[in-house]
Amino acid sequence: MISLKQRSVLVLFSRIVLGVVLIAASIDKILHPEAFAKIIGNYNVLPFGLENIVAIILPILELFVGCCLIFGVMLDGSAVITAGMMCVFIIALSQAMIRGIDINCGCFKVSVENGGSHIGFRRIVEDIIFLGLALFILNRGKRKWELYPKT
Amino acid sequence: MNIGLPSVQVFVLIVFSSVFSLFVNGVRTDGIPLLAKELDVADNIEITVDEPQLLAITLEQAIDLYKKGTVFIDAREPEYFTDGHIMGAWNIPFFFELTFKLDSLQGKDSPIVLYCSADECGSSEDLAYELQAEGFTNLYVFKGGWTEWSENGHPIGP
Repeated sequence: MISLKQRSVLVLFSRIVLGVVLIAASIDKILHPEAFAKIIGNYNVLPFGLENIVAIILPILELFVGCCLIFGVMLDGSAVITAGMMCVFIIALSQAMIRGIDINCGCFKVSVENGGSHIGFRRIVEDIIFLGLALFILNRGKRKWELYPKT
Repeated sequence: MNIGLPSVQVFVLIVFSSVFSLFVNGVRTDGIPLLAKELDVADNIEITVDEPQLLAITLEQAIDLYKKGTVFIDAREPEYFTDGHIMGAWNIPFFFELTFKLDSLQGKDSPIVLYCSADECGSSEDLAYELQAEGFTNLYVFKGGWTEWSENGHPIGP
């Protein structure tokens, strides 16, 4: 069994990893909302042209939640949102792969030419790992190195 | 409201992100409309050079244009093209090469039909917007794509 201190360090490590991943994933999408909206549209899961509003809000949410995870602000809420996002991403990627549509993932970069990737099994595995990290943070037990709210 | 509750935190984060992102989208110069607009469907195809058009077309309209010898562009990845495509369609992955060939062969105002796999794919529409940005004025996206074309027994092949 790991000690409480080791567990706290592991929680902090998970927070930083997940936070950096979320922030890194948000930047290109924030810079190119139109391209990101088209990618969401290609997944064919949202009706009524809702891809635009998701393309506007989702990257900023990723950015805020990433910062909150790193700095320990509203950590429970941030972990719940991260876990929720990962579940949605896993479902969206899986259904696209099952239907056999070959599309740009839109995971970190919005254009394949610019270092982005097509959807694939690897992306799903990554998201499952991130989901695990979010659940671990949610079940961290002792609260340490958290800015807000203080308990 | 007890901010210590996870549900309250989720609510605060989502509301704050939504308000902030909508505000940023409103003030930035390259903001996007809140709802994506679907392509208008062409009523009748009249080739005009007066104003640029980018319209969605049905199978019947695609056949009509096909019979008139319109250039069809397959916007899918080359491996799908090799497996089967609309007879005579072009598949040129390099955008510069494509625009050069189109421009030198028929100019920018002649009609061009773009298609990909089926209704669900977006590459034909993406390519149409890119061509429109390059100054091509008569663009038609055949939404039914390869699936509708081949299932209805229309000319396919090399």
